[in-house]
Amino acid sequence: MVNTVILSYITFVYFVSFFFYLLMMVIGKSTLGRIATYVTLGGFVVHAFAIILRWIESYDLGIGHAPLSNLYESLIFFAWTIILLYLLIEWRTKNKSIGAIATLLAFGAMAYGSYSPTISSRIQPLVPALQSNWLLAHVITSFFGYAAFALAFGLSLMYLIKRLDNPEKQNMFLNLIPRLSILDDLTYQMVVIGFLLLALGIITGAVWAHSAWGSYWTWDPKETWSLITWLVYAALLHARMMRGWRGKRLAIFSIAGFLCVMFTYFGVNYLPGLHSYAQS
Amino acid sequence: MIKSPLDCFFPQIKLQFQKNSAIKKQNFEVLWGLTLYLIQVAFFRCEESGDTGCKWDLFFSLGDMAASKTTNNSNLIWNFFCSVNLTIFLLIILAITSIVGTVIPQQDSAVEFAQRLNPGFFRLFSFLQLFDMYHSIWFRILIGLLALNLIVCSIDRFPAIWKLFKTSPRPDRSKPFENIPPDWSFSVKGNIKDTSTPLHELLDGQFKKIKSKETDKGLYFYGEKGRYSYFGFYLVHLSILFIILGGILGSFFGFEAYVNIPEGDYVNSVRLRAGGAPVKLGFEIRCEKFFVEFYKDGTPKEYRSDITILADGKEALKGNLTVNNPITFRGITFYQSSYGTIPGNKARIGISRQGPNPSDVSITMELRKPVPLPGNDGNIHLADFRPDFMRLGPAVLLVVRPPEGEEKKLWIFRDHDSIRERFPEIFEKFPGLNPAAFEPYFFSLDQMESKNYTGLQVNKDPGVSFIWIGCFMMIVGFFIAFFQSHRGIFVRAQPTKKGIRISVAGRSNKNPVGLERELDKLSQKLRNLFMT
Repeated sequence: MVNTVILSYITFVYFVSFFFYLLMMVIGKSTLGRIATYVTLGGFVVHAFAIILRWIESYDLGIGHAPLSNLYESLIFFAWTIILLYLLIEWRTKNKSIGAIATLLAFGAMAYGSYSPTISSRIQPLVPALQSNWLLAHVITSFFGYAAFALAFGLSLMYLIKRLDNPEKQNMFLNLIPRLSILDDLTYQMVVIGFLLLALGIITGAVWAHSAWGSYWTWDPKETWSLITWLVYAALLHARMMRGWRGKRLAIFSIAGFLCVMFTYFGVNYLPGLHSYAQS
Repeated sequence: MIKSPLDCFFPQIKLQFQKNSAIKKQNFEVLWGLTLYLIQVAFFRCEESGDTGCKWDLFFSLGDMAASKTTNNSNLIWNFFCSVNLTIFLLIILAITSIVGTVIPQQDSAVEFAQRLNPGFFRLFSFLQLFDMYHSIWFRILIGLLALNLIVCSIDRFPAIWKLFKTSPRPDRSKPFENIPPDWSFSVKGNIKDTSTPLHELLDGQFKKIKSKETDKGLYFYGEKGRYSYFGFYLVHLSILFIILGGILGSFFGFEAYVNIPEGDYVNSVRLRAGGAPVKLGFEIRCEKFFVEFYKDGTPKEYRSDITILADGKEALKGNLTVNNPITFRGITFYQSSYGTIPGNKARIGISRQGPNPSDVSITMELRKPVPLPGNDGNIHLADFRPDFMRLGPAVLLVVRPPEGEEKKLWIFRDHDSIRERFPEIFEKFPGLNPAAFEPYFFSLDQMESKNYTGLQVNKDPGVSFIWIGCFMMIVGFFIAFFQSHRGIFVRAQPTKKGIRISVAGRSNKNPVGLERELDKLSQKLRNLFMT
């Protein structure tokens, strides 16, 4: 299928932009950063095009549905949301320093989806339980939430790296990273966006589960892990807003939160439940 | 002085690691260290560190809410429950304990796991209710504590928030105008008396609670918006209580049940998932027909039951039940959940008679209706139908009553030939399975009628509307709390030698960048108003 071929090429486009973002950090030339942005933007547009193409192809197969229904499609969409959110941040802040991490995460998701032998990239028909409009709302909100947490994770890593900064050593790499306070604030804002979207994802999932299985909450491992993630970030927000936690502690908190996100996404497949993609 | 709980306890954990590195106890020590740390977070204040007051911003940013804590209640229990550290502690503890139930199989699926456990662990797990931990007493207590913590915190902070909500500054303050950027101040020609009405009109459209004051120094205006944003977090927290309440209502006044209805059959009671006596519905539900449709590759496409509900002797509701499209009647909702086949009560039995008068007939028999054997050797009837007997496929229990002697019971398999291939001697070894055991006859099961049944999930949950209201409130609350801010705008018109100097200034409880943008826009509008 054409879309999977295009998407497998996009994987390398993101790798190239990761390379340029990294080079920009090491060498410190803004031209490299500009190239990186254009490559990423180009990849992003073609990426969106390929997703739409996949959508159209599914209709040609007579099993038309939005390409958000299996692990492969979710990975492709996850990478896309990460790049979209990253480009928004870059545009708003005019800073490219987390570009390397964002494109690396997107590259990882794309490569896993496209090249893992265990993941099927075929367009599969929707089983009855998935035939719901809530599927779209649930997947879109959840993955934008995941992407926001991924960027918060990238920012937190940057924070911890930046802390190594020593004013005496003129380290170009670290100079390009924004001030600690900016990183801290951006992390926090990303967490807020992710938290809100994750809440929406859980709620849309609950509405859907209620109409499909009769119960809005069944303590299925995926549900429970998304709640665990939500609780961890809720604790983070309380720590920051009410207890004034900042800096290193918050960065570590946000990294721990992202590990929960990753477990919710991948780890749960090894536990039994309604969401396990393993059977498909 | 405690610098930070992390710094305080991490060395300790490290130390314990070094001491016990060879011992298996290690895991326990880490857990213990973590628990101590969490307790410390909950019950001791930690020093606030790091750079605060960052004014940099992407989409929005929040002010420090920590300042809004004012009441000084001396009640120890009250103070315990209004601590945010307790909130953080409870959230983390809930998160950590929730993991347990995703690793240990829960409820029905726990049985197999429990059998493999050694007795000591089994007793421990049962004592801790780990096989159904999300409904255990201790987990409920944790949720209850969180709810209590939330309520006490809300009450505790209410007076301070209310004060913020109620107070409004005097419009003729000069402090806000200190250090304003040059863009927000400009001079125009004219009389100060003529500025009052257009200023009022402009502000009226955009702000609430407009106040103005005229002094000898000039004309002052104050307007604001987003005062309600102080209650955004209240809405979020109230939504959590709604959701908990919905859950409680559901577990007390609702039920989760299931029922299997064969096509053409009806039921008036359902079985609880938790076990126990069947629940009467108070009406009848009939399954007219069950359909299952497949895609070309064999994936199921649709499960559908055509059902009719009969209440008080009348047909009350007729409809199609599919996955994702449940049907609700009198507060009880039916969901398409599973399907299967059960044997009907008819089967085609082949009877062949060997020997001097050979015959070979095939007759349709009904359950428990005797049929004479062709050679007047008594009669036969079917006593049982099994869709899968001894894991060897469909079978019927055939009872032969000869005119004299004892009756014989034989299980007749449909897949006789393939079973013989797999287990060559089976029919000879077990006379009860041998279709040739009643000589000189040989019986075969040619066809067994089967019926589809539809499996329905049957739920009643009066708490569910509270859940949806709670969810809706939560989202609205988030938007108010995170994206709305209380902004106050000051406008001043001062008489100067040449004319009038108009300045704008403002303040906001969060999102300073948003405020700046708003003031930029406002000063531009004022310029357009007075300069043209």
